[in-house]
Amino acid sequence: MAFEYQIKYQAENTYEMSVSEAQWKFLIMPENKERQQLLSSEFYTSEPCHHYRGAGLFGFSSIMVSCDVPVKEITFTADYRVLREEENPFDFTEQPPADQFSALDSMAFKVEHMLFLYPTALTTLPAFSESEFEPDRKKSIFENLQDLNHWVRSKLHFKPNVTRVDSTLNDVLSGDGGVCQDFTHLFCAMARHHGIPARYVSGYLHQGQGFSGDMHMHAWVEAFIPGNGWKGFDPTNDLLCDHHHIKVCHGRDYQDCAPIRGVIFTSGRNETEYSVQVQAQQ
Amino acid sequence: MKIKSKHPIFSDYEKDPKLFDEIFDEEGKVKKIYKKLFEIYGNHSIEDFEALNKKAKASFFNQGITFQVYDEHQQKEKIFPFDLFPRIIHPDEWEIIEKGALQRSRALNLFLYDIYHDKKILKDGIVPMDLLASSKNYLHQMMNIDPPGGIYNHISGTDLIKHSDGKYYVLEDNIRCPSGVSYVICNRTALKRALFGVFDHYSTHTVTNYAENLLEIIESVKPQGVDQPNCVVLTPGMFNSAYYEHSYLAKAMGVQLVEGRDLYVDNNFVYMKTIRGPEKVDVIYRRVDDLFLDPFVFHPDSALGVPGLFSAYQHGNVNIVNAPGTGVADDKAVYTYMPEIIDYYLGEEPILNNVKTYRCGNPDELKYVLEHIPELVIKPVDEAGGYGISIGNRLSKKEIEAVKEQIKADPRKYIAQPILSLSVHATYIEDSGSFEQRHIDLRTFSLLGKDKEFVLKGGLTRVALQKGNLVVNSSQGGGSKDTWVLKKSK
Repeated sequence: MAFEYQIKYQAENTYEMSVSEAQWKFLIMPENKERQQLLSSEFYTSEPCHHYRGAGLFGFSSIMVSCDVPVKEITFTADYRVLREEENPFDFTEQPPADQFSALDSMAFKVEHMLFLYPTALTTLPAFSESEFEPDRKKSIFENLQDLNHWVRSKLHFKPNVTRVDSTLNDVLSGDGGVCQDFTHLFCAMARHHGIPARYVSGYLHQGQGFSGDMHMHAWVEAFIPGNGWKGFDPTNDLLCDHHHIKVCHGRDYQDCAPIRGVIFTSGRNETEYSVQVQAQQ
Repeated sequence: MKIKSKHPIFSDYEKDPKLFDEIFDEEGKVKKIYKKLFEIYGNHSIEDFEALNKKAKASFFNQGITFQVYDEHQQKEKIFPFDLFPRIIHPDEWEIIEKGALQRSRALNLFLYDIYHDKKILKDGIVPMDLLASSKNYLHQMMNIDPPGGIYNHISGTDLIKHSDGKYYVLEDNIRCPSGVSYVICNRTALKRALFGVFDHYSTHTVTNYAENLLEIIESVKPQGVDQPNCVVLTPGMFNSAYYEHSYLAKAMGVQLVEGRDLYVDNNFVYMKTIRGPEKVDVIYRRVDDLFLDPFVFHPDSALGVPGLFSAYQHGNVNIVNAPGTGVADDKAVYTYMPEIIDYYLGEEPILNNVKTYRCGNPDELKYVLEHIPELVIKPVDEAGGYGISIGNRLSKKEIEAVKEQIKADPRKYIAQPILSLSVHATYIEDSGSFEQRHIDLRTFSLLGKDKEFVLKGGLTRVALQKGNLVVNSSQGGGSKDTWVLKKSK
């Protein structure tokens, strides 16, 4: 079975002073891959702009926009239709735990996944948390990662507007909550700390089920299980990823996946408001 | 007509027997290669020399051949002190330097390709993975990108010293944006102007062919499908310490000198804004650091770069020279693996020696370093320009303790080397009005292109102008000498 989703991404930028020569880069287009087909994609702006498809990191596509006239207010809208195959996260067979763990320890494996095994500024585990989660070598990696998912959920409450996109885990864990980026960074940091490759994923979550993160772009984790490959975990909701998760891109942390980046020359302040709608077609 | 001088030029030259003098042998006799030069200079009095020296200085200033020195409080514009007594390198000696420098450049290029693709050298355990993964110069954005022509370090600056054993040793490889080549050329011009006659007696290789070779090299790595590549030099602007050099190279190559704001990207092609409209750019010789190239990918608040440039590069529509991410290989901790790197990719013995280096990231070596600070030079692995260097035998007890704490706080950040005795060369010192021994080193410039290689036959001989000082970087108040590579006699 497959689900068809209609996704609308909208960003509204307002500038105190009018800006000229403004440019933006969006990383918001759903990935087109085996189990997730991008049926159509449209992008338009409220002011005269031109845009082209640029490269993102790790082979993902971005949208590059530049404005032809000075603007004080501009709205960007993207409409996507995606066909997502049903996915049962339990539908795979794992190797015995001993084999999995010895694979993690091999040099070739570590080098292969090096980019997703080392901490970045945003995924550096504070020393006080290092010992708070220990994998159980008798359990499989998948089971361990599910335990890690629960652990992250137990450490953090979902609480908007207390952290920022550049908050470190030290900041996050010293406060009392965070949003999906923070949950995802914490999961990645702990998995990497124990030698399990983990990457930051940015995407959309199908709304209407009361999950956190359905009005905005969402973030989750893909962790690598030796012998099986990358598997999705959604620590913000303490869930495994399935066909409700529509992936845009992955990277080492939020910095690689920021949905919008702008370069503007202005002396005034600016604000961005954005919204996301994900609807399933019947 | 000969002027009988009242005050011969080398009359006050003091020879310290502990130092390796490039001009005088152990018995105090002038070495063969310098004999003629010594004779010619001997015809002048020290007063003549002072007058010439003044003229040369004024000409540097008038031409704006200056650089900036940064410190905590201010920026100063200075001329690069120039010494009129040249350094001469024998053709046989040069052959070794040239081969050795090229060998290193080639090996580093293969190393860079490997660590941004399959990472075989890490999988084989030759270079530890930690070393790269923890380096802030290892750019994951460069993963699996194939630079046009397969070249990363088009321009390499190799720093060499001559030790008291008479052999050359490599101090470091500079493969980000090595600077200094414009001084090599200016020094030659200045010396010719001041003392034209001396060139009649020596058959010296030219250095003014650098720019034409650089242009050929960067044209050779043009993007696919481009016939006549349009090349530019990208500078951070006139406040950069090496702005003179950027403008010199652009002028000498006959290409445009641009700043980030002169370029823009559309549909993954790079264009230059000109009064005749947009002009496509194919190869960018950039003198802007990696992290400032494209605010969409690196530092988001940098205005020096071009938004979208990296995407154009990923599409293969423009080439960036040197490639982004080369800095990981001129990290001084990677330097310590150069013999292994040369062997791994080329199956060759290193032609030029490395200086024995202790990696503080390794616990045993760290222990040794902490116990032997007074005999060692301590260097941060990722700083250029001689910043942050501590020379052990110059430190007070208190300073030694401070250095130890500094190392212990972040061992991976430091390497240590034995204090080498750099060779000395006769250098005119204004304060004393006489020639004195000063320590020197040598920076060579090698170029790698698609099916083309070039080493500038000459180089920047840098002089530590303070007596006994071993740090020769221009940013630390060093001077320079014209460097002659002699042609082989037929």
